[in-house]
Amino acid sequence: MLRRFIAAVAIALAPAALLAADRIELPAGPNRDLVYAKCRTCHDLQYVKESAGITADNWQALVEDMGQYGLRIPDAERDKIVKYLVTYLGPNPPAPAPAGSPSPAIDGAAMYARQCSACHQAHGGGIANTFPPLAGNTDLYRDRMFPVYVVLNGLTGAITVKGAQYNGTMPPFDHLSDAEIAAVIGYVRAAWENAELRPAGFVDVDESAVKKARAKPMNNTEVHAYRAAH
Amino acid sequence: MEKKSGFSQLSRRQFGKLAGAAAAGTILPGYALRALAAQTADQIIPGKSAQMLIHNAKLGVMETPLTLLRQYAHTPKEILFCRFHYPHEGNAAWYASLNAPQRDDWTLEIDGLVARPRTVKLADIAKMDQVKRVSVIQCAGNGRSFYAAKQKVGGGQWKNGGMGNVEWEGVPLRHFLAEMKVLPAASVKWLTAEGWDQPATPEGSDFSKSYHIDDGALDNAILALKMNGEPIPAAHGGPLRLIIPGYYGNMNVKLLSKLMLMDQQSPSVFQSMGYRFPNRPVEPGQFKANDYTLENSRPTYAHQIKSVIFSPLPEDKPGSGAVEITGVAFNDGTAPITSVQVSADGGQSWQAATLKAAESPWAWYHWSAKASLRPGQNTLMSLATDALGRSQPLDGLTRWNPRGYEWNGADRVVITV
Repeated sequence: MLRRFIAAVAIALAPAALLAADRIELPAGPNRDLVYAKCRTCHDLQYVKESAGITADNWQALVEDMGQYGLRIPDAERDKIVKYLVTYLGPNPPAPAPAGSPSPAIDGAAMYARQCSACHQAHGGGIANTFPPLAGNTDLYRDRMFPVYVVLNGLTGAITVKGAQYNGTMPPFDHLSDAEIAAVIGYVRAAWENAELRPAGFVDVDESAVKKARAKPMNNTEVHAYRAAH
Repeated sequence: MEKKSGFSQLSRRQFGKLAGAAAAGTILPGYALRALAAQTADQIIPGKSAQMLIHNAKLGVMETPLTLLRQYAHTPKEILFCRFHYPHEGNAAWYASLNAPQRDDWTLEIDGLVARPRTVKLADIAKMDQVKRVSVIQCAGNGRSFYAAKQKVGGGQWKNGGMGNVEWEGVPLRHFLAEMKVLPAASVKWLTAEGWDQPATPEGSDFSKSYHIDDGALDNAILALKMNGEPIPAAHGGPLRLIIPGYYGNMNVKLLSKLMLMDQQSPSVFQSMGYRFPNRPVEPGQFKANDYTLENSRPTYAHQIKSVIFSPLPEDKPGSGAVEITGVAFNDGTAPITSVQVSADGGQSWQAATLKAAESPWAWYHWSAKASLRPGQNTLMSLATDALGRSQPLDGLTRWNPRGYEWNGADRVVITV
C-alpha cells in the first residue's frame, strides 16, 4: 500500500506530468481537425470517444446542445463536425481509409479560422483571463521555434501576455501536418499588425523546421521552461 | 472488510516526507510519460487514487472502481467520484485539489425578491450550530452506460462508481434562511443555488439549480462546511456546498456562492435542459436529447431507489460453491428500505437478503445473502424495495431516456466460474 502511494505521489509531482488525455485520437476522416480544434476549448475528447456509437440524431442534438454551453461556430462548421461524428463515431463507422491522399494547398488564414479562433478569437484578441491574445503577442517572436513548440506540444502554466496573467492549458495541435503548422504560424506572425513586431532578418519557419521539432516532443514543463529562457 | 480511515491513516507529516522524496528522486524523462496509456486521476487532482476511472481529464470527471468503493463505510476523498462542468484551469485551477480550500474571503450572497439582501462571510456561517448528515451522493448519470443495451446515449459512460456514502456537516438551510431575515416577497416560489465556477467561454450558461421553496427535501438540507470530518476539499465543492440529502449530485451545488429567492426557476441550461428526466416513458427516436421542456420533464431531484452488488465482482475471481453476495441499497430517504431480493441465477429464483440498519435515512444500507456459484456463467442480481412500495425495475431499460440519467435497474453482475 505504502509503495503504491509513493508511486502515486511521484507521478503527481513529476514535473513532466504530460496531459495524455489531450492525446486522445479519433478515427481519421474529413473534418476531424475541426473536432480537435473546436471541442477541446471546453472539454477533452474522451467524452466524444466514450459517446462513439450513438445515432445520427443524437450526435446532431448533442452538438446543437453545446451552443448552450458556449460553443460559437458558424452553422457550416457545425454541420461539418456533425457529419464527421455521425460518419466516424456513429453506429456503423467505415473501415479506416488508406492514408496518403494528396493534400490541397494550405491557406494560413483559413487554417487559423478553423483551428485557432475558437479560443484565440477571430481577430486574435483572445478572451480576458482565459485565452491569451495573439494580436500584439511578443511571444510570436520570442525566437524562431517557440510558436512551433507550443502548437506541437501545447502550453500549460502561468504566463504573462501584454501585461495580463493567464494560467490555462492549450492542448497539443499535433494532428496538424508540418506544412499546416508552418502556414498557420506564418499567418499569425503577419496578421493584425504582428508584422510590426518582427525583428530584422527574421526567418520564417518552414515545413522541415516543424518536422525536426516534431521528432523531439517536449512536455509541459519543457515548453514552459523554454519560454522562460528565450 | 470496512475501514473507517485507510488513506487518511497517512499523517500529513508522513505525506510531506513522501512527497519530498518523490520530488527529489523522480524526474521522469518526457518520453517515459509519453508512453503512459492515459492520464491517471492523481495527475488531474493531486491526491486522488490512480485507480479511479477517468471520464474527462480536462473537467476532472472520474468514477470509483467498486473494488475500492466497497472498502469504506464512508467514502474517502481520495476515491470519491468527481464531476465538474467547466475546465479546472486558469483562475479555476484552485479547485482541482483535495486540500482544505484557503478561501477565508469566501462569502455567500442571498438575493432576489427580498427586502434585505445579505452577504454572509464563511467565518460567520462556521460559527452557527452545525448538524451532521450521512448521505449517499450520486451522479445523476451514474449507470448511464447500461442504457446502451437499448440505445447508447451520449456523454460519459458511467458504470456504477459515480456514488459514495459521505458524512457532511453544516448549518441547516431553513434555519439559516430564517436567521438571515432577508424578508422574502410573498411571490417567492423558487430557491436557486449558484456555484462559483464559470463556463469556459463567456457565451456558456452558468451552473445553477432551482428547488421549489416548499420542497420537503430542503427541510433536511444543510450549508455544508465539512465532509468526512474535514473542511470540504475544493474538488468536492468546498469551502461551502449545498447538501440536500437524498438528491442527485448535481442538486448539491458545489463552491456555493449565491442563493436567490425568486418567483421563477433559473433559466440556466443546467436547470432547463440538462439533468432532466421525461415525465412519461420514452422510446429512442421518439423523444430526443433536446426535446426537454419545463412541461414534459422534471429535474433529476431525488434518488430513485437503487441497489448495487459490491461482491463478488468478476475481479474477485470466486470459485464454485458457497459465496456471500453483498452490496448496498439506498433511496431518497423519505421511507426506509424494507427488503433487498437477491438472485444468483439470473432472476429465476430470489431470496431475501439480510439488511443492516443504515446510519441515517439517506445513507446506504448494507445487505448480504448466502448463495452458491456453479461452474460456468452465474448472473447475480439484486432488487431493493422500500416502505412506500417503491422498487427497482427488473429491467432498467424501461426507464431509458435520451440523456441517460437515473439508472436504477435491478443490478446485474455476471461471474464466470
